Amino acid sequence: MSDLLVLAILGAVLTGISCSLVGSFVVRMNLSSLGFAMSHAAFAGAALGLVLSLDPLGLAIVFSIGVAVLLGPLAEKANLPTNVILGVIFSLMISLGLIFINLIPQTAMSSVALSILWGSILGMTVTSVLRLLVLSVAIVLVYWLFFKEFQAIMFSRKLAEASGINTRPFYYLILFLTGITVAFSLKLVGGLLVFALMVNPASSAYQFFYDMKKITIVSPLIGILCCVSGITISFLVDLPVGSSIAVVSSAIFAVAVILSPKRKRG
Amino acid sequence: MFPMVELKDVSTVYEGEKFPSIRNITLTIQQGEFVTIVGPNGAGKTTLLETVNGLLPSDGSIAVNNKNLKTDGTLIRKGIGYVPQEFACDSLTPFIVEDVVMMGRYGKMGLLRSPTKEDWTIVQGVMSFLSVDTLKHTPVGKLSGGQLQKVMIARALAVEPEVLLLDEPFSNLDMKSRSELTEKLTALNKKGLTILMVIHDRASIPSACKRIITLEQGEIVSDKKFKVIQ
Repeated sequence: MSDLLVLAILGAVLTGISCSLVGSFVVRMNLSSLGFAMSHAAFAGAALGLVLSLDPLGLAIVFSIGVAVLLGPLAEKANLPTNVILGVIFSLMISLGLIFINLIPQTAMSSVALSILWGSILGMTVTSVLRLLVLSVAIVLVYWLFFKEFQAIMFSRKLAEASGINTRPFYYLILFLTGITVAFSLKLVGGLLVFALMVNPASSAYQFFYDMKKITIVSPLIGILCCVSGITISFLVDLPVGSSIAVVSSAIFAVAVILSPKRKRG
Repeated sequence: MFPMVELKDVSTVYEGEKFPSIRNITLTIQQGEFVTIVGPNGAGKTTLLETVNGLLPSDGSIAVNNKNLKTDGTLIRKGIGYVPQEFACDSLTPFIVEDVVMMGRYGKMGLLRSPTKEDWTIVQGVMSFLSVDTLKHTPVGKLSGGQLQKVMIARALAVEPEVLLLDEPFSNLDMKSRSELTEKLTALNKKGLTILMVIHDRASIPSACKRIITLEQGEIVSDKKFKVIQ
């Protein structure tokens, strides 16, 4: 097996773990649209990085977390529903991303630009795999240390606050980790579809269990399955890897909804 | 007796609104009192409860058990049991009853600590008290409105609160459950628990309640002793 494929599979496993773990929180807190906006912001940031010859990953992180940090105050000041603000941010970010890609000067850069849009097996390097490893360990550690606080917030942030948990740091910690996860996953999955890897595996796990511990364990397993299957399909049929992963994860979600014991009556 | 809840000149304005939902509220509730707040829809009853436990930012000064809400909000909330109005769960909610009741204790437990045997004993105790112990492994999304209401009250009691804030606790309950809950609240109050309850239907006010406050358009319009006419 070539080193490239080994790196791609390792990257896929770690991307599956990190995206699905933060996804279990994002889905339960109805933040899917936020994940969606953050992933497109990361895409715009990475594209700007390529235009300015700056580190695309750094700018992807800045844009992605910037969206999360700006969103709350912006929604309050404008006195508009969060989803309206998210819709505006989403369209702005995708437009900026496409404009920046258009501005990338060298032809050679266009393959890099396309990879942040659609993802690429070739995007995985030893450094990016190591980054994903550190991120996955950090997310697992944060979940393990503060699991009961996250559980309480996922049940009801208001009630968690009312029972004496200072919810804000935990909430922002997850948004921060989501921003970094989105940015680190860009290379493999691409900015347009990374949110699918966050939402679909976690949503599939939610169809089967009434226990957050089980959901937190099963979500990343489904995430790994989606990524490894997506990469295999992409490798065999020469499709964009992000699209393959999104299709596989959507299919798994559809099957999960059909088989879900939670949806059976009686 | 000592003042358990003290509000001085308290006003609460919701984000984006010009006029306060409650204004210039000055109120003292003694330890062990059972107080009911009544008033028409939109009078500010729920706002008042959520202001007392600091869920809503407000002007003026609020103290609970001699602690200032503005500086010790999180600490104060560890001693307050709060039951929101008509709490609802969707069928996919990934929590069972005993987990939800245990969540009431998480704030008190503090960071990096798991529930102990003592925590589980308290949780089991409040579930038995509210007669929901047989439902402890049931997903909360599968409960009826009345069962969920009892679970939320059990969750609030799992805090082992100094003050119990109840927002329409009898909603979703049938007559038998209302009567049982009334008895239980009376028993808790006799043990010294301070209770502040918001209610829409005056006929549901328990006889243990000795004081009734009427809110209208965000202001207290009457504060009277209450006696049930048999």
